[in-house]
Amino acid sequence: MSPAAIGLAGMGILLVLLALRVPVAFAMFAVGFGGNAILNGFPAALSLTASESFTLASSAELIVVPLFILMGNVATETGMSRRLYDAAYATIGSVRGGLASATVIGCGGFAALSGSSVASALTMGKVSLGEMDRFKYDPRLSTGVVAAGGTLGILIPPSTGFVIYAILAQESIGRLFLAGVLPGLLLLGMFVLTVSILCWFFPKMGPAGPKTSLRDKARGIAGAAPILTIIVLTIGGIYGGLFSPVEAAAVGAGLVIIFGFIGRTLTLRGLWNATRDSVVTTSTVMLILIAAHMINPFLALSHIPQTIGGFLSGLDLPAVGILLVIMLCYLVLGCFLEGFAMLVLSMPIFYPIITQLGIDPIWFGVLVVLTLEMGLISPPVGVNVFIVKSVAKDVPIGKIFAGVMPFWFAMLVTLGLLVAFPQISLFLPNSMIN
Amino acid sequence: ETLKLAHWVPPAHTLTKSTIEPLKNGVEADTNGDLTIDVFPGGELGKGPLEQYVRAVQGVADIVWGLQGYTSSQFPRTMVSELPSVLPDGKAGYDILWDAYDAGQISGEFPGTVPLALWLSEPNIFIMKDRDIRKPEDLKGLKIRVSGSAAAAIIEALGATPVQMPAGEIYNSLQTGLIDGVVTGASAVADFKLDEVANSYTIGAPLGRISFYLVMNKAKYDSLSDASKKAIDDHSGRKLSASAEEGWNAKAKATVEALKATGDNTVIELSDDDIAAFGELTVPVTQKIVSEIGAEDVYATMTGQ
Amino acid sequence: MLSAINKLADRLIGLSAVLGSIGLIVEVMVILVDVTGRYFGKPLTGAQDISQMTMVIIVFGGMALCDKLGGHISVDIFEYFFPPRVLWLGDVIAPLLGGVIFCGIAWTVWESAALSRMLNLATNIIYLPKAWFQYVVVVLSAITAFGMFTRALGIALSGKPVSHQLDKAI
Ligand code: NA
Ligand code: NA
Repeated sequence: MSPAAIGLAGMGILLVLLALRVPVAFAMFAVGFGGNAILNGFPAALSLTASESFTLASSAELIVVPLFILMGNVATETGMSRRLYDAAYATIGSVRGGLASATVIGCGGFAALSGSSVASALTMGKVSLGEMDRFKYDPRLSTGVVAAGGTLGILIPPSTGFVIYAILAQESIGRLFLAGVLPGLLLLGMFVLTVSILCWFFPKMGPAGPKTSLRDKARGIAGAAPILTIIVLTIGGIYGGLFSPVEAAAVGAGLVIIFGFIGRTLTLRGLWNATRDSVVTTSTVMLILIAAHMINPFLALSHIPQTIGGFLSGLDLPAVGILLVIMLCYLVLGCFLEGFAMLVLSMPIFYPIITQLGIDPIWFGVLVVLTLEMGLISPPVGVNVFIVKSVAKDVPIGKIFAGVMPFWFAMLVTLGLLVAFPQISLFLPNSMIN
Repeated sequence: ETLKLAHWVPPAHTLTKSTIEPLKNGVEADTNGDLTIDVFPGGELGKGPLEQYVRAVQGVADIVWGLQGYTSSQFPRTMVSELPSVLPDGKAGYDILWDAYDAGQISGEFPGTVPLALWLSEPNIFIMKDRDIRKPEDLKGLKIRVSGSAAAAIIEALGATPVQMPAGEIYNSLQTGLIDGVVTGASAVADFKLDEVANSYTIGAPLGRISFYLVMNKAKYDSLSDASKKAIDDHSGRKLSASAEEGWNAKAKATVEALKATGDNTVIELSDDDIAAFGELTVPVTQKIVSEIGAEDVYATMTGQ
Repeated sequence: MLSAINKLADRLIGLSAVLGSIGLIVEVMVILVDVTGRYFGKPLTGAQDISQMTMVIIVFGGMALCDKLGGHISVDIFEYFFPPRVLWLGDVIAPLLGGVIFCGIAWTVWESAALSRMLNLATNIIYLPKAWFQYVVVVLSAITAFGMFTRALGIALSGKPVSHQLDKAI
């Protein structure tokens, strides 16, 4: 069997294992291990097991994962999340799906302080899912909104996705960050529109609340003052150069704990339970990321990306045609691979093709990051969906995948708009940096 | 037979042209294609630069590229080459590394592998945002990013505060003012896009260099045919190291010229007096570290004393 | 006999989680001290070294409890199409596979720790030996594997699948 055939067989086995309800992390781990053992020898696969486990678990970038989960958990424990959603409910709860729209906007805001989709989905999930449940929102809508909205983390700057792309493509990080702003806002708008359309046709998905007076609105917002203060301090601290986005996660968690003790809404027992819960969620998420990184070398060794690249450069198509085929490849690869792994594997292959065709690499970067986001919520390996599942234990994963589908289509439409109108991506970088 | 060469930078990095291609093309031509080298860039064979050496020892890859400075506890003696004022004027960095290696003074730090190339980067410089560094006092209280304990000692000796952070965060941290600057080689400016956020560069202070290795799994090397071994020997060692070091120096030179050509940058080239003022503070750090680890022999070989 | 094993597993799983939780609290404090200190020109030396190594304890400390609580995520979309007997078989195989994986992690990290000692690997600023933390991973992974095997045995003996969500799969 050729390496590429072994690679494809590996993906087939992964599908079968997933269908048999083998936990996602175990299935990816087993396939990654087996593939590496076949293509690179058993000792190499064993060595990879040790190095990927330890490297991911000690990764400086991923420290945000437990810290933001802790922040979300304590915010929930102290009732801060509740008061935040009471405020949102008082303000726009009378609109159908209003809380879901507010959650999308919250995801957009969180994306402005976090560079990671995983952290965004985790924190927003911890804060919002229970609350939307409380107001009788359909779990398909609430989980779908958080899984999809969380992906905004890598489109709206700062973004780990753009940083990796910039370094792989030798492009400007600043231009890429600027290029992500308008598409990020556009996508945010598309998500709100999707919520509105869904709730228009299915009012029960996001039931409208009673009309509220101006006084109720003011009271609601006042109740959310502590958590709003913490959010402002955290974002301000990053942009003011007091701490890095990673450290902001610890500062945010620390502030929530301190506010909780001061306001007597947090007990030591409550803090301990929230901490233990955070550790368990961290393990869930990190094992999936470790397993995804076992698959990455397997696919590199299978030379599947090179095979696709060779096929593409032999195609007799205009530039836009090649671009669309590449987007299609990303959508398909995104079904199986974790986003950043996919970026690392594909860039050395696709990037030279793109530059040869004269396609603007900044524009391409935005398109790639959007397809990565789609991969994060597309079955069977949708990392953000798994993350939401780790927060919403009692919602079957099928419901979450069903819930994200409308948002996946909203992203597809956005992708179409970005392909058709490069200016949406390029206007800001071209007018602000020369 | 095919050897797997793994690294974690993009294919467009200086490494490809200066180091990988001479080895790959030379070996493949000499063996008429019997021995080929398959390159896996960007961390495709595993995440993280810290595990590179282990990957070679355990055979995940046959050849790996890495920085001693990422796992400095493994290379205390080799890293003497990185310290301020160790490399004598007019001598090449790879020569002092190989002199010490051939004398058996650092070879114990490379168990399980055969080094194919060892070399030094261009000298480190100050890469600053909104701060011009002309004399040591200008650094008082500034926050400077460092990656290892030797660099931290040098920064502290200069009166600044060393700040530890992952390489991927430097860009954002310079932009927001979390750090005031970075000390590294000019060739790294483009790698991490620092020119977009930094605007003042100071060249000439004795701040040391960065050392690199390209190593091959020893068992794999031993298993090759004599012809293959000879092909590798003929295209590695000092010859390959020279090519690598030239690549880094050329990149650094081009980077500094580009920085000067861009109007909004300040590029400060220190006078001999200023250099001496910095040296008074940084050179004692070298002495201190050398005696702490008992590497006087390495120091003597490398400085040619 | 089985109940004694279960009890032991539960106690070890609880201890792992306690260790992970302490790690998370340490993590928050280390970063806060570093950020505050840096503001006054005195950052905590080696803060990043400590927080990265502590993260290892958090991640592996929670693995065993995560499995016990059924936290490892699986795709339950096709549940509807399988008879209970097949579901039961899957429920036995999953923790068995997990146990094998964690035995593998424990063993390979053990080997890797020996190599770390040979290469004298440590963190870059305050030289925390890497092998220490690798041994912690070994122990925590072994506990996770033990917990998983125990759970597989329990499900196997019960003869019934764990979860059944036929009515609300999609
Ligand atoms: Na972001
Ligand atoms: Na996917």
